[in-house]
Amino acid sequence: MSDIIIAILRSGTPLVYVTLAGVIAQRAGVWHLGLEGLMIAGACGTILGIVLTGSVPLALLAAVLVCIAASVLFWFVIDKLRANQIIAGLGLTGFGIGGTTLTVQSVFGTQAAVNAPFGLPRVGAIFGPLAGPYGVLSVLVLALPFVVAAMWYLLRRTRFGLQLAACGEHPFAARSVGVDPSRMRLIALVVAGALAALGGAELAAGSLQIFAQNMTAGRGFMGFAAVIFGAGHPIGATLAAMFFAVVGALGIRAQLLFGDAVPHDLLLALPYLATVFGVWLSARLRGGVRSVSGFGELRDS
Amino acid sequence: MMERVFSGLSTAAFIVLALVLCAVIFEFAGYSAPAMFNSILEGAFLRPRALDQALRWALPLFITAVGVTISFRAGYFNIGAQGQFYVGAIFAAFVGDWLDGAPALLVIPTCLLAAMLGGALWALWPGILRLHSGADEVITTLMGNFMAAILLVYVTSGPLKDPSGSGQQASSRPLDAAYRISNSLGLSPTIIAIAVAVGIGAWLLVNRTAFGVLVSLAGRNPTMVQWQGARVWRIGLASFLISGALAGLAGGIELLGPNGRLASGFLPGHGFTAILIALVANMSIVGTALAALFFGGLASAALFLPVLAGLPSAAIDIINASIALFITARTKAFDRLRRLFRRPSP
Repeated sequence: MSDIIIAILRSGTPLVYVTLAGVIAQRAGVWHLGLEGLMIAGACGTILGIVLTGSVPLALLAAVLVCIAASVLFWFVIDKLRANQIIAGLGLTGFGIGGTTLTVQSVFGTQAAVNAPFGLPRVGAIFGPLAGPYGVLSVLVLALPFVVAAMWYLLRRTRFGLQLAACGEHPFAARSVGVDPSRMRLIALVVAGALAALGGAELAAGSLQIFAQNMTAGRGFMGFAAVIFGAGHPIGATLAAMFFAVVGALGIRAQLLFGDAVPHDLLLALPYLATVFGVWLSARLRGGVRSVSGFGELRDS
Repeated sequence: MMERVFSGLSTAAFIVLALVLCAVIFEFAGYSAPAMFNSILEGAFLRPRALDQALRWALPLFITAVGVTISFRAGYFNIGAQGQFYVGAIFAAFVGDWLDGAPALLVIPTCLLAAMLGGALWALWPGILRLHSGADEVITTLMGNFMAAILLVYVTSGPLKDPSGSGQQASSRPLDAAYRISNSLGLSPTIIAIAVAVGIGAWLLVNRTAFGVLVSLAGRNPTMVQWQGARVWRIGLASFLISGALAGLAGGIELLGPNGRLASGFLPGHGFTAILIALVANMSIVGTALAALFFGGLASAALFLPVLAGLPSAAIDIINASIALFITARTKAFDRLRRLFRRPSP
């Protein structure tokens, strides 16, 4: 039993981090399709940082800074240049995937996977035998419940969180009470960048200690789907992301147990199908107007 | 006219900005930017027979981009071209497998029709969900892309698996050579004829028919069109189906032409590039043809770079991504210029 829980936590944790990044952007009114690119930049930054500096904190710092810089660029393009969020987000994703490949090629002269000598500190290293079989998990897994709780508190119970929601829902009203939607969006996107970097770090250095080309394999988009499925609520989106992770882990388990009788590949489509169902359901419940992205334009004017 | 000039100028300015950003990134990653751009230019347009190769990539991209253009014109943000392209190729592969042994004159048109049907079906359900329930088409078509990619993996490693295939990438049984519409270089009179027919048909549809006018009006102001008595949902569904069918057709052409078999995850950037082409062309059909040639050149340079110049092909992905980042940007300066030259409305 503990091994399947470990498998779910391992695949679910990066997804939850990147989902939380999507949640804070969503509440600021930004449809963040660049999460995939930020996540892979975070993964690449962490592994390259560990290889080049030999220090985990420095590597994490580098990964977070790279993702924040990319987020500021994204903010500039969609906010100051009024670009379409969806297209610009897809562009940011392409940037992350292409940029990491180019960087690895430039530093190591090959596009092969990069191995790091060690990864993030493990739970077992802190709690010793107390952690039992869960000692193999990284500290970012341990931090996850606190991060989720903090995000919930920040977004639902603080002045900042409510102002942010106002900026997302009705920027004009927010401005009329003296909140600058543009600045709030910048803050939200910077936080989202840092969270996506942590998601990438956990993915690359949490259990594997490796960076491979395109290793996020759509997890950023899945995180975006979890945001939509969870209706933009931090807890709801976290549960949606964990549901996706459970489906993935059970799919692998089902294939081990039943062999080819279960088409494992098709099971992998379940999270996406669930998202489509969730979008359809929320559109029905809300009368179809509120859920529409409005072509990905900011609702400023 | 002046308005068009300014819109073109603004697009050009942002593409230049995008290339400057690329140059910064190349330098940052440790490559010489001028050398990189030189090699890309050479690979795309200047080496011998470069135009053939650019065309090979441009024609399927053009067909998909025309579909994207029609959907965008109608005001639907169908970003599912990649999934529709895959499902079209899958349908064509199944029909080709099923009709194996029949005369080529029967198989090829049937396969292409099946490809269009597959693509249209993959656009149909997001269309219905959008028009009937108001479910956002951006999310449903994006999810459709992932589901189609998973379906492709399943088909190439399951029902259509090539038993002799080895290596990491699953692929389907190769089509009989008689059913191919081009060799693996990918340029043939058949493909050119199909692309020209699609281009002319789409131009006539958009510019010379009531449907085309209604599509563009519905994209800008659906309420007005509804009040004038046109059925908005019918226009919307038709634009979803046309865009899906054209993406599917491109999938069928890639299958029957250059590829000759399905491979899991083939041409992963096709749909995204087609969206870029439609946006760069500002959703005009003639512009789409020119933009497709440009991006087709870049796509052929992506193959040229690692082999002949020893540079990573990721450079092309970065250029595409950078253009995507800026292509929809607008600045106040350009808007003001455009307004200055706008003719007063009667």
